[in-house]
Amino acid sequence: MSYALIVAEVRRGVFEERNLDSVGLAALLGKETVLFVPEGPYQIPEKIADTIVRAKTAEETFLNPLNLTKMLEQIFAGRGKPDYLIFTQSSSGMECAPYSAGFFGLPVITDVSAYDKDKGIFYKSYYSDKVFGEFKPAGGAAVVLTVRSGSFKECAAERSVAAKIEELSGIAETEGRVFIEYVEEEKSDIDITKADFLLSVGRGIGNKDEIPAYEDLANKLKAVLSGSRPVIDKMWLPKPRQVGTSGKTVKPKVYLAMGISGAFQHIAGMKDSDCIIAVNKDTEAPIFQYAHFGIIADIHKVRDKLKEIVNG
Amino acid sequence: MNILVFTKRVAATQEEELRIRDEGAAVDLSKVPFKINDWDNYSVEEAVRIVEKEGGTVTAISIGDAESDEVLRRAIAMGAKDGFLIESDAVMHDPGARSRLILNFIKKENVPFDVIFTGVQSEDDQFGCVGGILGAILGLPYSSMVIGIDAIEKDHMIIRRELEGGLQERVKLAVPCVLSIQSGINEPRYVSIMGIRKASKVERKVFKAADYPAENAPGIEIVRWTYPAKKGGATMLAGELDVMCGQLLGILKEKGVYQ
Ligand SMILES: Cc1cc2nc3c(=O)[nH]c(=O)nc-3n(C[C@H](O)[C@H](O)[C@H](O)COP(=O)(O)OP(=O)(O)OC[C@H]3O[C@@H](n4cnc5c(N)ncnc54)[C@H](O)[C@@H]3O)c2cc1C
Ligand SMILES: Nc1ncnc2c1ncn2[C@@H]1O[C@H](COP(=O)(O)O)[C@@H](O)[C@H]1O
Repeated sequence: MSYALIVAEVRRGVFEERNLDSVGLAALLGKETVLFVPEGPYQIPEKIADTIVRAKTAEETFLNPLNLTKMLEQIFAGRGKPDYLIFTQSSSGMECAPYSAGFFGLPVITDVSAYDKDKGIFYKSYYSDKVFGEFKPAGGAAVVLTVRSGSFKECAAERSVAAKIEELSGIAETEGRVFIEYVEEEKSDIDITKADFLLSVGRGIGNKDEIPAYEDLANKLKAVLSGSRPVIDKMWLPKPRQVGTSGKTVKPKVYLAMGISGAFQHIAGMKDSDCIIAVNKDTEAPIFQYAHFGIIADIHKVRDKLKEIVNG
Repeated sequence: MNILVFTKRVAATQEEELRIRDEGAAVDLSKVPFKINDWDNYSVEEAVRIVEKEGGTVTAISIGDAESDEVLRRAIAMGAKDGFLIESDAVMHDPGARSRLILNFIKKENVPFDVIFTGVQSEDDQFGCVGGILGAILGLPYSSMVIGIDAIEKDHMIIRRELEGGLQERVKLAVPCVLSIQSGINEPRYVSIMGIRKASKVERKVFKAADYPAENAPGIEIVRWTYPAKKGGATMLAGELDVMCGQLLGILKEKGVYQ
């Protein structure tokens, strides 16, 4: 049977919204859609797919590539291999998709953000969105995909009837990789999600010694200082100040991004801000596609000039 | 503990204008500087720290053209014992092909290891796949987004992996295993030009990719390269620096975040 199998993500009892992007891509692909989910008391739109297969296992054991591939084997034994095995481009999707591809000997294309139905081509970001590659599985083979969140949500049409529900039981849990516990982020006195105005700095600031000058500018503008991942990785700013998928999702009135290129993991964390202003010396920085206002200039010069004007 | 660390030489395109050539057949990288993949820098550092504490060796491996020797020298300067270059002039876009090449190389050369490290993703292709595929075809436990290694025992490791929004999960993995290391796991040491020069004296081994042909597994093909579809795009402020900065402050006032 020809179908698309979506491995859905449930975290801490929440059916993640980005699953809708997987559903949307499956709709574009025009295949019968089977949604694979773990057990749990979460809400799930009942007309989201043709069939929902519930694994009799908890979310932590479900999104474990070693367990998951064994469960998928059970599903494939019943239905045959799917034409498309779809994950989201997230921490667990990025772990389970390549592992499944290797396990089942399938090709894989990750971070898919568009699909050309006529040509059967998947668009994948290269060089942090500066260029896209048009890929297809060689020989039209079945393929494993991960989907960039926000890319296909609007294609996710409701079915006219509720999904058929099936159950998958008799799941053997691996000893090779075992979930122990969730670990929460350290608490911080500054909550960047509550700020009206964020001044966010990226790798473009160059080095740690520049931080005080940006802190000073933030103070003068009554903004809160936040950063992209490399700035936090290098410990130039503390982790709770990180904007993006693996940091915080923010929605300030103004998001002023200085020296940030606009990788999707960053954009996903700030794209809903009321007003985004980007300063970058690269005219082709992807962030200009998401910003409302842009300045092409050296950020240090902009910083110093702003301070000069504000000081009067 | 013997650790194999995969290090890739990548184009540093963040500040470059990229041009597509030959009607989409290629991306022109002729004027772009190259460097070690950022994620691999963190994973070399993590491997070196482990053997400094627990004993053992780190072997850096790169697949690429002769220039990739550069990242091996860098890894040796950081503390790796050996550098293996699997030379291939053609760029292998398909991560599956790269993983199967690595599998065949490890098997044929009998490369011993306890743990394999890769970076979470290559900066250039952003596939994030080589580690996961390799783990599966080696039949080993795998974890990605590894942001902390809390304990190392003879037969297992306790690691922390990053999820979304600052949440992490702690996981126990049997050894041998494959781990993809996330950026920020450590603070990579500084590597001086002198250090790299000294590392050049350590012999690196060169192997030919063609000697490790992979069985014909289904792969992916690149049809062509394209520029991103333009979205709305920003209103660009123009003029002298003080004019643009004045306009910027005007926007802040209008949005009510600055008086
Ligand atoms: C699983 C995963 C999760 C991730 N989570 C996050 C996340 O939560 N948040 C996040 O931000 N990233 C995240 N990333 C990383 C992301 O992919 C990018 O690597 C990162 O966002 C790039 O940060 P950047 O824009 O600061 O740096 P770069 O991409 O290096 O960009 C620097 C920019 O500064 C500009 N610049 C340099 N010097 C100057 C100057 N003097 N004046 C003006 N402009 C200048 C350059 O033109 C360039 O555009 C994640 C990645 C992965 C794989
Ligand atoms: N050509 C290569 N040479 C060495 N290591 C590689 C190569 N390609 C990928 N890797 C490793 O696999 C990781 C993920 O790569 P990718 O799947 O291309 O995103 C990288 O961080 C490297 O550690």
